[in-house]
Amino acid sequence: MGEAILFTLFSLSAVAFALGMVFRRNAVHCALHLVGVLLSLSGMFVLLHAQFIAAIQILVYAGAIMVLFLFVVMLLNVKGETPLLTPGSAKGFGFFFAFIAFVELLWIVVSQGGTEGEPAPVPALPPNFGSPAEIGKILYTTWLFPFEVTSILLMIAVVGAVVLAKRKFA
Amino acid sequence: MGSMGVPTEYYQLVAALLFTIGLIGVLVRRSALIIFMSIELMLNAVNLSFVAFSRQHGQMDGQIFVFFVMAVAAAEVAVGLAILVAIFRNRETASVDEVHLLKG
Amino acid sequence: MDAAFLIESAVKVLIVLGFVLLGVPLIVWMERKVIGHMQDRIGPQRVGPFGLLQTIADGIKLFFKEDLIPGQADRVVFFLAPALSVITAFVALSVVPFGDKVTVFGRDVPLHVADVNVAILWVLGTTSMGVYGIVLGGWASNSKYPLLGGLRSSAQMISYELAQGISLVSVILMTGTLSLAGIVAQQEHMWFIVPQFFAFVIFLLCGIAETNRAPFDLPEAETELVAGFHTEYSSMKFALYFLAEYANMMVVSAVAISVFFGGWRGPFLPPVAWFLIKLSLFLFFFVWLRATFPRLRYDQLMAFGWKVLLPASLLNLAVTAIVVALTG
Repeated sequence: MGEAILFTLFSLSAVAFALGMVFRRNAVHCALHLVGVLLSLSGMFVLLHAQFIAAIQILVYAGAIMVLFLFVVMLLNVKGETPLLTPGSAKGFGFFFAFIAFVELLWIVVSQGGTEGEPAPVPALPPNFGSPAEIGKILYTTWLFPFEVTSILLMIAVVGAVVLAKRKFA
Repeated sequence: MGSMGVPTEYYQLVAALLFTIGLIGVLVRRSALIIFMSIELMLNAVNLSFVAFSRQHGQMDGQIFVFFVMAVAAAEVAVGLAILVAIFRNRETASVDEVHLLKG
Repeated sequence: MDAAFLIESAVKVLIVLGFVLLGVPLIVWMERKVIGHMQDRIGPQRVGPFGLLQTIADGIKLFFKEDLIPGQADRVVFFLAPALSVITAFVALSVVPFGDKVTVFGRDVPLHVADVNVAILWVLGTTSMGVYGIVLGGWASNSKYPLLGGLRSSAQMISYELAQGISLVSVILMTGTLSLAGIVAQQEHMWFIVPQFFAFVIFLLCGIAETNRAPFDLPEAETELVAGFHTEYSSMKFALYFLAEYANMMVVSAVAISVFFGGWRGPFLPPVAWFLIKLSLFLFFFVWLRATFPRLRYDQLMAFGWKVLLPASLLNLAVTAIVVALTG
């Protein structure tokens, strides 16, 4: 019962914040709405037994990535766009394609991958499912190579960002 | 519902909704910053989907994938925002309608 | 999730909230008194015995002051920013253990609001969310000095967060758990300050920078930025920022105690008393620093964070990792 209430709460706030993000004019407000979405999703991750991912979501996404966004928005001092949305028929096509994509996704979710009948029951999970220790065990055995590649990717990103943001190539 | 918990389908539905909203943002907004944020929203919708399936199948590989998505998103944001700052310095605009030439 | 658990949690939340709300006026009083004596003055002495009620009087004064909002301010964000600051400081305290288990009405009640297995990540995450309160406050005021203060503080807090997190990782390497209660449990024979002295020094320096206290109080810098991000704030909103700063000091002290000083452990006295004694000593240290050191220059601050603290914390982490790997 508790999960159902919290799920309703988090999903409603996530969708509401997401709508606010897309249709707000001021870029700072948009960024704040996105932070709201990220925090709601973090709550949902806890409901889904992913405590480590939930904590990382707050620490990395909300605490670091979005601060960077906010920093750039304030630095550039971008004025709100007028008009808000892209003009002409492109706007209509945009909504139309998004609608089609949603119908497709909905169809996949509702058809449950081809199986008929009631939604599959939620399986019972071991108590340490999603804990940092368990995540670490998989991460440093099965996924060791992708993990190392990720570190190289981050290194490249740091160098790239510094080169791009420098004022002059001296 | 009782002790059974919320079925995975409900989480998928929320993920689909968030993904669509993000898609709308990418397709109809004009500011590159907002488009960027919408892409983050779509990535997060997919993350929710991964974590929900991870619980459904009782395997943590889905959560590992979310971890990698976050790392890639961090790298993407760092480089993407640097590009935006560079464009803004040269052109005084963040609108994708006005930055359509690949020379500069 | 039974009713007893819900009631127990609610009571603990209320106790922690009350503790912070009552503790902050006491800390402010202590700060004024201690700095007073350090500067050869007396400090507050008029309101109540030893001037103890001075802070309460100040709070009441702030409460009745006119609440000014700049004409060009972003009103919603202007309201939201101080609230965010306070909330992030309060929720971080929810994972800190205050004492051993106590038995109330036949139930074993552990003395922390929540023992989660990601406690340290939670504390780091909430403190990094605290940046929003300051940056948004600076931005929403729509005024030059607050914006400068806000941008400075976000750069400062992001820079020092890195070294702070890495210094905690070296302790986590030794304990193998992220839970603060678990870390306290492993310090029965030896406090972690002994093997991890450098990590503690780095953590404390970063903690002072994170809470924007002197000598790292550049975001506020009364003399050059006219109080930085809260220049335009008055009345209760200003009081909230004030509250958040002191609550954040409590968070840093409480985490440092739990991770490096054995938490509530100590001989003879009850656990909660030991926790409070250690907390007071830490807060006294914060005040002592403020009375002693002049403010750093901005480039000195950034250079210190990136060129000294971060490499030092990485080196400490590498040495710890090698030792842990060799000794098993």
